[in-house]
Amino acid sequence: MKLFNLSGRKTLEEASPVAFADWKDAPHGTAISLPQDVEVEDLRSHLNELTLIVLEFPIFRDGRAFTQARSLREYEGYKGEIRASGHLLPDQAIHLKRCGFDSVALPEEANTQDWDEQLSRYQFYYQNTAVSPV
Amino acid sequence: MKRLSRPGEGEVLLLTANRLLDGRIVWLGEGERWRESIAEAKRFSYEEAGPALERALAAAAQKEVVAIYEVVAHDTQPPEPVTAREVIRAHGPSVHPDFSYDDALARTPAQEKERAQ
Amino acid sequence: MTQSNSHSVGHYQYEERDRAFLQERINEFEGQVRRRLAGELSEEEFKPFRLMNGVYLQLHAYMLRVAIPYGVLDSRQLHKLADVAAKYDRNYGHFTTRQNIQFNWIALQDMPAILRELAEVDMHAIQTSGNCIRNVTSDEFAGAAKDELMDPRIYAEIVRQWSTLHPEFTFLPRKFKIAISGSPEDRVAARFHDIGLLARPSEHGPLFRLFVGGGLGRTPVVGQELFDSVREEDLIATLEAVLRVYNAFGRRDNLYKARIKILVQTIGLEAFRKAVEEELSRMDCAAYRLTPEHVAQIRARFAVPDLQAPADAASLFEQHKQADPAFARWVASNTHPHHHDSYICAVISLKTPGAIPGDVTAEQMHGLADLSARYAFGEVRVTHLQNLVFGHVRKDQLYDVWQGLQKLDLAAPNVGLISDIVSCPGLDYCNLANARSLPLAQKLGARFGDAALQAEIGALSIHMSGCINACGHHHVGNIGLLGVDKRGAETYQILLGGDGGENAAIGGILGPSFAEDEAVEAVARIVEFYLAQRQKGESFAAMLKRCGLKAFKEVAYETV
Repeated sequence: MKLFNLSGRKTLEEASPVAFADWKDAPHGTAISLPQDVEVEDLRSHLNELTLIVLEFPIFRDGRAFTQARSLREYEGYKGEIRASGHLLPDQAIHLKRCGFDSVALPEEANTQDWDEQLSRYQFYYQNTAVSPV
Repeated sequence: MKRLSRPGEGEVLLLTANRLLDGRIVWLGEGERWRESIAEAKRFSYEEAGPALERALAAAAQKEVVAIYEVVAHDTQPPEPVTAREVIRAHGPSVHPDFSYDDALARTPAQEKERAQ
Repeated sequence: MTQSNSHSVGHYQYEERDRAFLQERINEFEGQVRRRLAGELSEEEFKPFRLMNGVYLQLHAYMLRVAIPYGVLDSRQLHKLADVAAKYDRNYGHFTTRQNIQFNWIALQDMPAILRELAEVDMHAIQTSGNCIRNVTSDEFAGAAKDELMDPRIYAEIVRQWSTLHPEFTFLPRKFKIAISGSPEDRVAARFHDIGLLARPSEHGPLFRLFVGGGLGRTPVVGQELFDSVREEDLIATLEAVLRVYNAFGRRDNLYKARIKILVQTIGLEAFRKAVEEELSRMDCAAYRLTPEHVAQIRARFAVPDLQAPADAASLFEQHKQADPAFARWVASNTHPHHHDSYICAVISLKTPGAIPGDVTAEQMHGLADLSARYAFGEVRVTHLQNLVFGHVRKDQLYDVWQGLQKLDLAAPNVGLISDIVSCPGLDYCNLANARSLPLAQKLGARFGDAALQAEIGALSIHMSGCINACGHHHVGNIGLLGVDKRGAETYQILLGGDGGENAAIGGILGPSFAEDEAVEAVARIVEFYLAQRQKGESFAAMLKRCGLKAFKEVAYETV
């Protein structure tokens, strides 16, 4: 796995996340991995213990994790790292960053040049988001 | 892999696709080459079509064509598709006889455009 | 507001940053095409990106759908569309029911070059397809109609900008369509959109009635009122909240159940409203507040036409009508009252009987652009019924406009009449269609093409779709036709009683489907029955209500 930094914040490469299915009955640790059908409100009482939340993309065109990330930042006030993992394309770099993701887990052989290029592509955006004002 | 359509009595299977670069409808011909006219389409039995489709799909990963599938056609000369949809794909839009593919073999894209004007 | 110039009446005038944004978007797409051709992107991965740039793979070729935000074009843009049609396509374009234009014979490798040409005139194809927020549609008489309460286009532009490359709502369960009107007469089919907005002024500023969960397609649903009065400052926050609920909970396991209408139906309007209100209560509202300054900024990018007219404009117009009955007939069907007494809105029918509905040649586009530059402040609007509109024509000049349209073969006097047929491209072009729709539309158009016959029949709409995706909006025609595949053969169902406007209604299916020519005859018998049995002044909808579907059914199947 190769981590690509989207937000410029320090990332926690060493953390190994616990699957939500294992975590929910016995919350433990500081890093978890969340499937797309979990409502982030379910984490509320443990959020200040968590330093890494991985949001999973089983397929790149399933966009639920964008709303999960934005909810974590805007509604829950989560300040730790949010990481995208799964089937992701460099064309989604801006969407991830602007919804509050800090990093994306890529395969070792991934070409990060496309990701870099995409992040610096647009000089402005047409809409506010709670985590990245225009 | 999805089940193929089964040709009936006096019918065969053809393989078709759209060319990646310009979207043009093509038919798999002899030598596993994609042809622009249904008249040059190779005829397959139900048994032959499956492996041929597999080979074409594998080769398509090499970017030449997209959306490959099989078409049931009457075993005539040239083969004539059974469904309205495939008749239109084989011959062109019915509302524009001027865009017919039937005598388009010899024309270049530039000539196509000229004819349209 | 600035005074008119020929390039900016009726739509947002781009700034440099908007142009730079388009260039970056084209660079991005060019890179995606390159990666696809290099094999770095699979077709499955490339598809959503090409769709979000308006590129479909249709039956015969790639199709490019160009956005016409809220349906407003200027003359230089129309000239450019004509150039694209001539240079890259087969010399024509097709106007759609969502106020866009489609080119049917485009090569993938030409796409970036075409997008660059369009960007020269501030046009793009962004989000004209794909599972994202689509091009926002609006009233074709916006800013001109006598009955308008407020001009919806400024808000349509605000929504367009807000939705453009929205980071959270670009990978939705399914497409999402928004329409906005500012008139009491619903000319945008607000109740048949994922979100329909009806704007009205109030002493506290503009208010928006918001309908949610309407749509046609496989499961036609009339949208329900979510909120009666959304305030201007809350407009964007409210849209965000609706989209968030949809993005989180809309179905993704079944393509046919993924639209927001299914979500609203499944959980119920009350539960949906509660979820939206919950979002709004937690949202960082300052970040999404639509400020008066922002509205003013957008408003300032719209020019208003300088409506001046000689004192005798209206009386000259009356003289022209008296002198030329053919002109008078065209005026009767193809115009709409303007808020200025000396002006009028002219509707240009793209339904010349026997022609393909919505198709316009490059020469016709150039001719229309010239006419609009000369007589209509350089502005052309596209209607959701596939016609065009000159919004502001001086009454004394309308005769010249009409003569100009005649030379272009675009003066059919049939707007709102039976041969003004709405039709999707159908199986002749479309990858999804089950049956052709254009030949049937052509036959029906020709069958009822006689101007006197049409005038006698009066207002009557025919809508035709080639499959249940319903791009021809067959559910909302007085008479709807739906192409159905029967073991590889094309057949047609008839629906009666649809209405896309204020009295929104979904047509009822008459019975088993007909072969193409039988369908033409059945429609003819239905129309004859209406002519013979209607009471004085009775509309088709009213008679259908009085006599019932069964009576029409008996007539339709009489000889089959």
